[in-house]
Amino acid sequence: MSYGILSFGAYVPSLRLDRKAVFEAVGWATPNLKGLASGERSVANWDEDAITMAVESGLDCLADTGFAVPHICMASTTFPFSDRSNSGLVADALNLQRSIATEDFGGSRRAGTSALSRALSNNESTLMIASDCREAQPGSVQEMNYGHGSACVLLGEGKPVAEFLSSSSEHEDLIDQYRANGIEYDYSLEERWVREEGWLKIAPDAMQGAASKAGIELSEIDHFVVHGNGGAVAALSKKLGIERSRFADDLKATCGDTGAAHPFLMLSNVLSNAGAGETVMLVGFGQGVDALLIKTTDHLTTGRQGRGAERFIARRRATSNYTFYLSLRQRLSLDFGLRAERDNRTALSAFYRKRRDINAMIGGRCSNCDALQYPKSIICVSCGTSDSQVEESLSGLTGRVKSFTEDWLAYTPSPPYIYGNVEFDGGANVMLEFTDFEPGSLRTGDEIRLAFRVKDRDEKRKFHRYFWKPAPLTRL
Amino acid sequence: MASGIRDKVAIIGMGCTRFGERWDCGPEELMVEAFNEALTDSGVSRDQIEMAWLGLFFQEQSAGKSGLPLSMALRLPNIPVTRVENMCATGTEALRGAVYAVAAGACDIAMAVGVEKLKDTGYPGLPERSKGTFDDLWLPNATAPGAFAQLASAYQAKHGCDSIDLKRAMAHISVKSHDNGLLNPKAHLRRAITEEQAMNAPMIAAPLGLYDCCGVSDGAACAIVTSVEKAKEMGIKDMITVKAMQLAPSNGFEMSTTDWDGSYLQTTRIAAARAYKEAGITDPIKQLDMTEVHDCFSVTELVVMEDLGLCEEGGAIKAVLDGKFDKDGEVPCQIDGGLKCFGHPIGASGLRMAYEIYLQLQGKAGERQLDNPSMGLTHNLGGHPFRNVASVSVLGLHSE
Repeated sequence: MSYGILSFGAYVPSLRLDRKAVFEAVGWATPNLKGLASGERSVANWDEDAITMAVESGLDCLADTGFAVPHICMASTTFPFSDRSNSGLVADALNLQRSIATEDFGGSRRAGTSALSRALSNNESTLMIASDCREAQPGSVQEMNYGHGSACVLLGEGKPVAEFLSSSSEHEDLIDQYRANGIEYDYSLEERWVREEGWLKIAPDAMQGAASKAGIELSEIDHFVVHGNGGAVAALSKKLGIERSRFADDLKATCGDTGAAHPFLMLSNVLSNAGAGETVMLVGFGQGVDALLIKTTDHLTTGRQGRGAERFIARRRATSNYTFYLSLRQRLSLDFGLRAERDNRTALSAFYRKRRDINAMIGGRCSNCDALQYPKSIICVSCGTSDSQVEESLSGLTGRVKSFTEDWLAYTPSPPYIYGNVEFDGGANVMLEFTDFEPGSLRTGDEIRLAFRVKDRDEKRKFHRYFWKPAPLTRL
Repeated sequence: MASGIRDKVAIIGMGCTRFGERWDCGPEELMVEAFNEALTDSGVSRDQIEMAWLGLFFQEQSAGKSGLPLSMALRLPNIPVTRVENMCATGTEALRGAVYAVAAGACDIAMAVGVEKLKDTGYPGLPERSKGTFDDLWLPNATAPGAFAQLASAYQAKHGCDSIDLKRAMAHISVKSHDNGLLNPKAHLRRAITEEQAMNAPMIAAPLGLYDCCGVSDGAACAIVTSVEKAKEMGIKDMITVKAMQLAPSNGFEMSTTDWDGSYLQTTRIAAARAYKEAGITDPIKQLDMTEVHDCFSVTELVVMEDLGLCEEGGAIKAVLDGKFDKDGEVPCQIDGGLKCFGHPIGASGLRMAYEIYLQLQGKAGERQLDNPSMGLTHNLGGHPFRNVASVSVLGLHSE
């Protein structure tokens, strides 16, 4: 048993927006975007946000670890809630133990790397999730560059896939971009200035600092995880005299920049493909720099290889429909008719009574007849025994579609509204709303998994409620 | 030992408004219209009515809660009025209340009124119904067509039938109901459609197209009932009596167990079995002369034919396409146009079905009159196939 990174996970939403399509739509007004109009970016579905993506990467990370997580941290610049524990909801959805410490880190794109640096320096046992779902103004550079995603690492005592060597941080109030409170979009400054004054002057100090603490030369490090825009990586490679191949793919062509999540997302790919005994420098940037140095172990090659973000990047649904993207992300207000006026007020006291049933999809398995039912009830649906049900989460179960419809009458931000009966492998049957299925693609008998998603948005009170939805089962 | 309701209660008067988009009428006008017809038909005076039941589903959209809307609209002399609501079985529930009151000897004459004013929502289709505070957190915001469309996908999966055959049988059902509605002056939709139109209509909830869905209508219906003894005293000849009234709500079997395959209506089967027993029916195909079933969607009617034992399981497509339930078929279904074309003002629908059978048994159904029917069945399905309330009633000519 030793301390380190025990596991890592990633998640990238399946939807991809073709950047050429963006340029075709807005290029009449912003011809300067032409140079960015290649590749594709990831786009969260209408029911995804930083919380739901955090749950996805958390599930990916914790799969098969059996680790009792005592502490969860979530880093983001796009927390759905400013005052409601975001990490707490993620912990609930992951069905983690109730005696758990929860922490939200925000305020900077390097919120995640800073928190990771502290946790690793103090041998903290924690699930460290970074997740970001930044919106961008239509026609902006950010709309082209950004992507949505989440990734995480699990820290603790066990069989680490990587061990911590050192870290170093620098703070400089270089405002390459900022987003004031209550404002939707980032305000960005000229990339050349950021590269010259930021990446080339601040980053090398922190990187050198971490290397020195570990007693190695920067040139000896095997992998660099650096996610700067505007040629930052190329410039840094040249300045430090380190060949470009040692810098990890920044996923620009396939996913886009996922903000606070991006260092973690890139790291997952590096770890996924690294061998044992290799050193990795993780760099976080934003009003300063965090540089962390880790070294992979033999345990990496016996378990987590091939478990990086590349699996999610390969699983994609492409769209060239710019207005579809805009509407999904609420950048364009289409007329969905009077049915969209539905009042989605949540009775929060009722939610509190049923919070575990909802957040972790806890059903009940009858101790008398073994029937699994959702929701759980006092009296068993199959044998009629009272108070016989033992709590059991359905969220990790797979199942098969028994019946379904594509409903063009019901309101959903992404018509048609698809829902149906699912029979789970644990033996339960539940009627559920589906997500991520293309119209016309679903068949009875199809296999599904469950995804934690926004169920409804209360536009009047700005509350989002979450629940589990069947999504396509892709064996990653 | 309870003996059931068979031949204890007589229906002595009925009324039904024209169903449709009654833009110039509110629930008050609709209730008064149905009541006046029923009162005239019964020959009793309004002061002889001792108790009343009001069936109304979407109170938010129309008349509000409680029995007050009926008591106020008809200016009833402070008699007990109970409002009942059991989704699409609401109208039948109102009738059941009145029938049971008379059978219990609590009063001599009771009345049931069902009403729904649906066309004040500002959009087509049914208003969304509330699900309560917990179900709202997890159940899909299903519409009625979306919920019933799943009968089709599950039926197809179970019986391995061809999707085109299924769609054609569904179209046949709608074409038949449109043909029947054409002959009914009170029907909402009075025009013939072709099988091709039905099959190629815009999709509402796959595989249900526009013509697979029933009308959303305003309307009211009313029944006045008394005991068989009292009806005899009143000198009523060719009495129409209640043979059975059964209700079966879901208990979670469909939704929460893996034992239901989604291709049939469990509660309808249960309610039908109880109703046949109560009415003394052993061979429904031979003994029933007509049915008015809950054809909210074409596929519902198709599946219900099996659930009521009017054709064998898996045989509905063939039976429908063979014309077994057409106007001139073995057991005509929806001779008045059904929910599909007569229309579906929810609180009134169960009573509207009883109204058609009441007319047919008396030979008063005009152009659409069947040849000497003596017994008919009504069926409602409130809610969705996976969680619902089914009612099955049998009405017939009185027999001693």
